[in-house]
Amino acid sequence: MLEPLFGSAARERVLLCLLTRPESYPREMAVTFGYSLGTVQGVLAGLEDGGVVYSRMRGRTRLYSLNPRYPFRRELQALLRRALMALPAEERERFYVPRLRPRKPGKPLVR
Amino acid sequence: MKLSRLTTERLAAVVCDALERHGFTAVLTGGACVMIYAEGKYVSRDLDFVLAPQDRLDEVETVLAELGFRAAGRVYVHPEVDMAVDVGNRWPVAVGQEILKPPPRRSVAGYHLRMLSATDCVKDRLAAFYYWDDRQAFGQAVLVCLAQRVNMREVGRWSRAEGQASGFAEFRREFNRRRRTARGSA
Repeated sequence: MLEPLFGSAARERVLLCLLTRPESYPREMAVTFGYSLGTVQGVLAGLEDGGVVYSRMRGRTRLYSLNPRYPFRRELQALLRRALMALPAEERERFYVPRLRPRKPGKPLVR
Repeated sequence: MKLSRLTTERLAAVVCDALERHGFTAVLTGGACVMIYAEGKYVSRDLDFVLAPQDRLDEVETVLAELGFRAAGRVYVHPEVDMAVDVGNRWPVAVGQEILKPPPRRSVAGYHLRMLSATDCVKDRLAAFYYWDDRQAFGQAVLVCLAQRVNMREVGRWSRAEGQASGFAEFRREFNRRRRTARGSA
């Protein structure tokens, strides 16, 4: 959809992923979409260099978010939202964050 | 000209002037603006420029080499200067979601310098506070307001447009507190 604009499907998916969750890390995105870690890290490095995303360290993990200081952030988010809604429902589900609310260790996860 | 003897403002002007003579529009942003406006109460190690046109950034190395700077990773360093030049910030010049017109050039000891106004410098620092929770940037915004005439009404308007009314209220409280302290000790 937005691949012709963004230059690659990986860049489109990474941006859609960061639209649907406040932050994410490269390995999570790589696993979700079946890309190599290097591919995702390369995409994120380019986006961070351009000011589109920003990152911060939490422990040993570098977490990425859409940069709220990016001057075209609102327009970008509007475009990404339209693209996300145009996806088939099952495809869209992949972008949403997995269950992250607190859960005691060892307690079975009922989906 | 001995670059190591120049003030931050003059050094920024020399670099800006060289870039503009080669056809770039170069705007000084970031901590160096705070350093200049806060009159030395804050120290930055970077001269952050936003440059246009972006498709000629590979020519910057040649321009800065004429001044003695060489590329070192993402920045340009000079053997006699303890400030690095960073041109990695993308056009346009913006504070939060607000895109700014390039500020006018002013003369600094015969060199042309474009830099954020004091009011836009405060907005720039507050954007880092509002969006990245950068407390150091919050302190820098206060320092600039204490040292310069800043259009606080405009900063308030911009803050509300960014959806940051409560952050601005916190900033005003801290600024007023620091101003009272400064007046009391004067």
